[in-house]
Amino acid sequence: MELLAQARLTFFGMTPNSPELWVKIIVTFILGLGVMFAFTKAPIRARRMIVFSFTFASGLFYILLWLWPVAVAREPGTLPNNAVEGVAFWLDDAVPRIADVAQILTAFLLGLGIMSLLTVHTQRIRRKAQDWKYSVLLMVSLVTMVGFGYVDWIQKKFQDPQGKLLEMANWGPVQYGQDLLFDGAYQQMEAAMFSMIAFFILSAAYRAFRVRSVESTVLMASALILMLSLMGALDFIWTTGINNLVAQTHNPFLDNFKISEVAGWVKSTLQTPSIRAIEFGVGLGAVAMGLRIWLGLERGGVSA
Amino acid sequence: MNAAFWDKLQKVDRRVLYVVLVVLTSIGLFLKAEIPVAVDDSSADFYAKLMKIDPNKPVVVQTDWTISTRGENMAHLECLLRILMTRKIKFVYYSATSDAPAFQVATDVIRHINEERKAMNLKVYERGTDYIGLGLFPNAEGANESMRNDIKKAWGGRRVRMPDGNETDIFQTPVLKGVNSMGDFGLMVVVTASDTIDFAVQRLNDKVELTGMATGVIAPGMLPYYQARQLKGFAGGLKGCYDMEYMMKHGINHPEEGGKIYVNAGKIVGEVPPLGSGKDLARATQYYADLHIALSLLIFAVVVGNVAMFAQKKAKKGAE
Amino acid sequence: MDQYLFIKLSVGVFFTIGLYSVLYKENKFYRFCEHIFLGLAAGYSLVAIWTSILYDQWWLKMTGVPAEGTSKMVPGYFMYAVLLPIGLCGYMVMSKKHNWMSKIPIGVILGLWSGQQVKNWWTQYGAQIYGSMQPVIPTTWSSLSRPALYTFNEAGAKVPLSPDAAAVIRSNIYATQALSNFIFVVTLVTALSYFLFNFELKGKFLRSFNTVGRWLLMVGFGALFGSTVMARFALVIDRMSFIWNEWLKLGR
Repeated sequence: MELLAQARLTFFGMTPNSPELWVKIIVTFILGLGVMFAFTKAPIRARRMIVFSFTFASGLFYILLWLWPVAVAREPGTLPNNAVEGVAFWLDDAVPRIADVAQILTAFLLGLGIMSLLTVHTQRIRRKAQDWKYSVLLMVSLVTMVGFGYVDWIQKKFQDPQGKLLEMANWGPVQYGQDLLFDGAYQQMEAAMFSMIAFFILSAAYRAFRVRSVESTVLMASALILMLSLMGALDFIWTTGINNLVAQTHNPFLDNFKISEVAGWVKSTLQTPSIRAIEFGVGLGAVAMGLRIWLGLERGGVSA
Repeated sequence: MNAAFWDKLQKVDRRVLYVVLVVLTSIGLFLKAEIPVAVDDSSADFYAKLMKIDPNKPVVVQTDWTISTRGENMAHLECLLRILMTRKIKFVYYSATSDAPAFQVATDVIRHINEERKAMNLKVYERGTDYIGLGLFPNAEGANESMRNDIKKAWGGRRVRMPDGNETDIFQTPVLKGVNSMGDFGLMVVVTASDTIDFAVQRLNDKVELTGMATGVIAPGMLPYYQARQLKGFAGGLKGCYDMEYMMKHGINHPEEGGKIYVNAGKIVGEVPPLGSGKDLARATQYYADLHIALSLLIFAVVVGNVAMFAQKKAKKGAE
Repeated sequence: MDQYLFIKLSVGVFFTIGLYSVLYKENKFYRFCEHIFLGLAAGYSLVAIWTSILYDQWWLKMTGVPAEGTSKMVPGYFMYAVLLPIGLCGYMVMSKKHNWMSKIPIGVILGLWSGQQVKNWWTQYGAQIYGSMQPVIPTTWSSLSRPALYTFNEAGAKVPLSPDAAAVIRSNIYATQALSNFIFVVTLVTALSYFLFNFELKGKFLRSFNTVGRWLLMVGFGALFGSTVMARFALVIDRMSFIWNEWLKLGR
């Protein structure tokens, strides 16, 4: 009871697994579905306003959080002095909840890609389209992965309080199966897929990376300096030669001609500002795009 | 040689190039060697920071990569974990990316580094008392924003299964006890293969000392942050990771037998010791010699391609 | 356990070779591996969406967590239930009639993103603008370039300078550094102007300013290219290491 008393129960935050909480969850869900159903009946003209309202309200939260006066030296249990401070408290308390909204909705939407994949492949199987057997293969792999994945999670989460299954020596068939599919097959295939880009880069560089203009020459020179600086062995040989020269001439200025020094200079004096310029441009674009989305001016984006 | 030869040379079958790349990179793996290296300033700063932070303060590790970038990011995370575990620094880790396997991959790396340490009779890190995993946050912006605002609310209500089997609130564990804000962490490290480092800089660089370990694709974009001190250091790509392993073995401005100093970093004032125990030269060292071969091949290919183009033009002009 | 590890690695090698086979030409072995890959990827995502995200961040927050051991109770917040219908709106994209509703959850996510942009711009770029204001006038003319932080003793060996002398050198701006800083600022301004004013400019000076900007942007792209090459080659090297070092246990 003492532990129970430590947590603050409110109208919104209720005792776990209590019947009242479950009733409210179900009612909230049904009401949500009701609103969703009502939206399906919305006239075409209202659709844009509905989507805009959701977008604007979401954006407004962070704009308010940024512009609203912040309550200073707030202690747990402090009551606000006035309405302005009340809003500040509310904004402050709502940040993690709003962040949760972004996490949860993103997670729900991640399923959309899988849904689309399933739709395409079930149709291919149903129609016995060309190479439909590969679609069956895809489905079997998917179901097997889901099966092993969930059983493994349930066993680790709810049936292994000592965390013994974290060690391979204590694994059962499910853990071996999950590991074989995830680490043995899926992960290695992902690595192989991504590594293939290197082959295409090599081929493209051989065929197309030509000194044809000032721009391509500058790009090639910059890339070459950077690649040479990545090769420590080459740098070492060159540096040893420079060090010997410095020792003979007692002229430390020659140190500036080490590959690492030249590359460091190019990096800090030319590459950093040019990348920064690109990022400044991208950043300004993001602000402009952000404002356009928030204010519902972006036609192709979230406007219905 | 006539124009036809140079033309043929430029149109050599791409599969020949692929075979050459496979053969050379395979041979390169057998040339594993400790290559002397001039470490990047950013790597030196990062290593010095990791070796100097207060071991009593936990570190936040945001690990946003999957096996697709194993060649670089796994070496990064292994390197980071070896330093943290050797220095007995507690850490909390999570993934802030929509790439679903990211968290599982990081958990697997912790497991195999623990196995490596067990085999070397070194302290094994235990969940709950030495480290905590928080899971996957698919919306990196939201995750970092709420951490900026209030870490206790952002991670509030989460529990971890301790070695004794009890579930405990993460803020009551030895890892996060005493942590009330981002400023209570000794350091934050973002190990990434994507632009999540941008989100972390946007939201957290003024709240906690921020550093990064990123793939070669992302690393150049970190230069402006480093120059503006928004990042206190970073290891960029395979070279950055090799720098780290080299410093783990030799330290910075640290005289070894005969007074020889392997890493002279003028930017770092004073001496930073090597790691001392545990593995130092590891995955990045294994790959670094090979990287020389692969880069040389690319440079050679570009040079040959250009020479062939000019020679062909010249031969054509001569024929006219 | 060793047997299992060998089987696991063999499976990985089998699929790696299967996918690499497309480098020769499109073939059935590749398609076989490709579809298994897609199935496993989708399957794993379905698992991770619940186990790594929704269970902790949605379900437990909605239903709460009872007190246990020394951990106090976490109340359940029923309002989290409203996110399920909003999330389900996303799936209306499958409906021809109501696919506009899928823009509601996307609108919420983009709205949250857009609201953060102005503040983020400043926290991301404020320090960088400040960092770009580099001194372009030397503070000393005692030497054109920055002197070395070491000297030579009578035997000809390098001897580091005293910390005080090194600190004085570090604190000064020498002519070559000022020149480098000037080049830094010019690079930033010209590249930025090319990036932002990408329309026809009148006047020889402005046009050449933009041309220089374009060239200097190429320096940045060159760095990106070189670094990207390192990243991609590292992945191939890793695959080769997987086959030779981890699977065949050669050259370890």
